[in-house]
Amino acid sequence: MERRELDFVVLNQGYVSVNGRELEHEASGNALLTELYRNHIADWPKFFKMDTLSKAGFVASELLIKELGEHRLGSEEFAQGRAIVLFGATASLCADRNYQETIQDKDNYYPSPALFVYTLPNIVTGEIAIRNHWRGETSFYVTEAPDAAQMAFHLACAFQDQVTDSILAGWVDSSRNDDFQAFMTVVRREDAADTGWIEGQLKRMINILNNK
Amino acid sequence: MEEMILKLKQEIIEVLNLEDIKPEEIDNDAPLFGEGLGLDSIDALELIVLMEKNYGIKLQDPAKGKEIFKSINVMADYIQKNRTR
Repeated sequence: MERRELDFVVLNQGYVSVNGRELEHEASGNALLTELYRNHIADWPKFFKMDTLSKAGFVASELLIKELGEHRLGSEEFAQGRAIVLFGATASLCADRNYQETIQDKDNYYPSPALFVYTLPNIVTGEIAIRNHWRGETSFYVTEAPDAAQMAFHLACAFQDQVTDSILAGWVDSSRNDDFQAFMTVVRREDAADTGWIEGQLKRMINILNNK
Repeated sequence: MEEMILKLKQEIIEVLNLEDIKPEEIDNDAPLFGEGLGLDSIDALELIVLMEKNYGIKLQDPAKGKEIFKSINVMADYIQKNRTR
């Protein structure tokens, strides 16, 4: 039996697609994330407080969940079994810089608590988990570039706990406030054993991301 | 006082990234936390920084914030009485 390809979202500062269908948009950079939020999400004001990394991860996850038709308040079992495993290259460097600007000048030294809370890359996984009431494992791996084999390996490891049933997985990176790249998909336990197939699916998404 | 209240609302909207809220939509007597604007503990810390940065008020006891941030009117009144700049 032929296996159904994984659903996915690809997003960068000037491009957004869901399962390869490009979404219309007018803005670019950080304003694109706000446009996507207003047009497709619009009911989570905390979005405006997020750093670019979290905004990109949040928007990508929301578009994907919409495409999958998942009910946000799923069963307890679903919530426990949904993990989040994300990868990125520059971690929270962008938020780190923004925060540092608030403490750079000793005569204008006002550390911003709101910027400080985003100075960890795994905050994006928390933002997504809180929004969806998911209580599975969350991880954020820092690696030089998206590598399908490496990602497939870590996803296979995550399924070994016997609790995880599905994983929101992908790449999310932001090196500057107006610059971001993300792709996101959901991998299910029944597909996880075939790491070669998962790797192929991820490669397809990485190719789109790299060519946009 | 009215001018100061408007300025304070604009500062709060900017510093807390309340992009969907306009100054006139903030009720001067409504609680800032909980129901009102639905602010959280990080927002409370940002308001403490705002008071120090913009009005020179150093809140020694953060617990006092609970009283001061009760509403825009209470906050504006506290700033008026304690500002150093």
